[in-house]
Amino acid sequence: MKRIIIDREKCDGCLNCNIACISAHQEGSNFYTVDLQDPDAQARNFIKYDPQKGYLPLFCRHCDQAECVLSCISGALEKDPLTGHVQYDENKCAACYMCVMNCPYGVLKPDNKSRTKLIKCDFCDDKPDDPSCVKACPKKAIAVKEVSL
Amino acid sequence: MKIVIIGASAAGISAAKTIKASEPDTEVVIIAKEDRVHSRCMLHKFLGHQRDAQGISFIADDFFESSGISWLNNTTVTGLDAQNKTVKTHDNQDISYDKLLIASGASYFIPPIPGLRESKNVYGFRDLKDAQLLDRECNTAKDAVVIGAGLVGMDAAVALLERGLKVTVIEMTAAVMSLQLDQKSADAYQQLFEEHGAAFILADKVVSVDVDAVGRGRTIHLASGKAVAADLIVIAAGVRPAFNFTEGSGIATNHAILVGDDLKTNIDDIYAAGDVTGMAGIWPNAMKQGRIAAINMLGEKLLYQDRYALKNTINFFGLTTLSLGNINPQPEEKCQILIREDRNNYQKLVIKNGVVEGVIFQGNIGGSGFWQYLIKNKIDLSAKNKDLFSLSYADFYDQDPATGEYRYAV
Repeated sequence: MKRIIIDREKCDGCLNCNIACISAHQEGSNFYTVDLQDPDAQARNFIKYDPQKGYLPLFCRHCDQAECVLSCISGALEKDPLTGHVQYDENKCAACYMCVMNCPYGVLKPDNKSRTKLIKCDFCDDKPDDPSCVKACPKKAIAVKEVSL
Repeated sequence: MKIVIIGASAAGISAAKTIKASEPDTEVVIIAKEDRVHSRCMLHKFLGHQRDAQGISFIADDFFESSGISWLNNTTVTGLDAQNKTVKTHDNQDISYDKLLIASGASYFIPPIPGLRESKNVYGFRDLKDAQLLDRECNTAKDAVVIGAGLVGMDAAVALLERGLKVTVIEMTAAVMSLQLDQKSADAYQQLFEEHGAAFILADKVVSVDVDAVGRGRTIHLASGKAVAADLIVIAAGVRPAFNFTEGSGIATNHAILVGDDLKTNIDDIYAAGDVTGMAGIWPNAMKQGRIAAINMLGEKLLYQDRYALKNTINFFGLTTLSLGNINPQPEEKCQILIREDRNNYQKLVIKNGVVEGVIFQGNIGGSGFWQYLIKNKIDLSAKNKDLFSLSYADFYDQDPATGEYRYAV
């Protein structure tokens, strides 16, 4: 399957990936027009900083044995057998947030505005080419690679 | 090989999926007493009329056809012959198996309170059928009484409020959802429910129910002397594993079906998963048990080790809470308690000897999943030397160089 592979050493914490993710999920916006004050402006990725270790990019792994899928009460989270990606169907979701509790890496979060949806990486499946975060990274610290599991 | 699965909820469906994904040629038969597959965690959405029966399914519409699974709905298993490897159904079919998975779940329990069991308007809130019966009652009922303010009782209450009924919740303990919450976080939900019209009677007990001439419970009497009028009664006082049909089969039980780490019973070729084992507790664990049982039935070896079940999330009226572990420690446990709060958030960490034993996050729960790992693996945080509320997975960051999956550096 294709996964966003992280080269932590290359990351300089610029957060372009963050803005790109928000923009990709804010219809019609681009890097310059994206409204970061919108309550819906939530990124699916983030970068933590540690004084010793430096920048630590946190991106959904679309895990092989995805705990979020196993915790889903509604069938909203399913692993696509072809792409291997964990897909999320907002219409099925019951917003119980068992997935948030069960994500071992704390990547998943409820939506801020309504608490009726999940904020989760969709690999920008509706867009051509690579995910928006990968395209926006000036350091090539994240790249889509084929991994065998 | 032919695998028969009894039960079509989390454990049963998860097992069936796992079998078909890895060995599509294995014959799979699912026997369930229900009419259709549904998620019991979403029953309140059905009763509250936010979704129809199809809307609370947790499988794809064409699940059985596309995966080639035989589906025997409305079928109750009444007996099990482990020698001849057959199960008997209520309509006298004998269904043979090579391997059997018992994922028959649990049934709700009506306490032996005078008048309560006899009342015709008492309902559990466990299966779609219960919700359908309640749905019918809601068309005429005005006063609803929910006995039990655990998660199931609160689910029922929120749906009944949605339908415009006057709802009274009666609870033995002094706070709602007392297994998941402390007083402060429970008060926040109680207040929200009250704002939406619910009334609560806490720290009180039902002692009897007056039954009218047509057999309906009308007045609920409490230990305090209070009396509450009821047109319908929902009982949410816990469940019991459901395995009557195993009687005489030789399967070892102790209030639940006993299984080893491989989820096999004492009889070869018979496995059990989910609530019927008494150790699932919540949906994600039942799903995982179903998957592991399936893998073992297919001849591989995988043990059920991630057993942690003291975990839950709650979302009522948009107020979200994560609850993990020991959240109400007794004074003699000598735990350290850290609280952090603002007008939208209440956060509590229970710590003993540098290990987090319990967590309540109410309000923003985004990114909180890593706490479960820290608690269930008893990770010692004393060397972290930082504000524990600021922890995240980044403090344990590590990657598998071959696959790019995360793992824990602890």
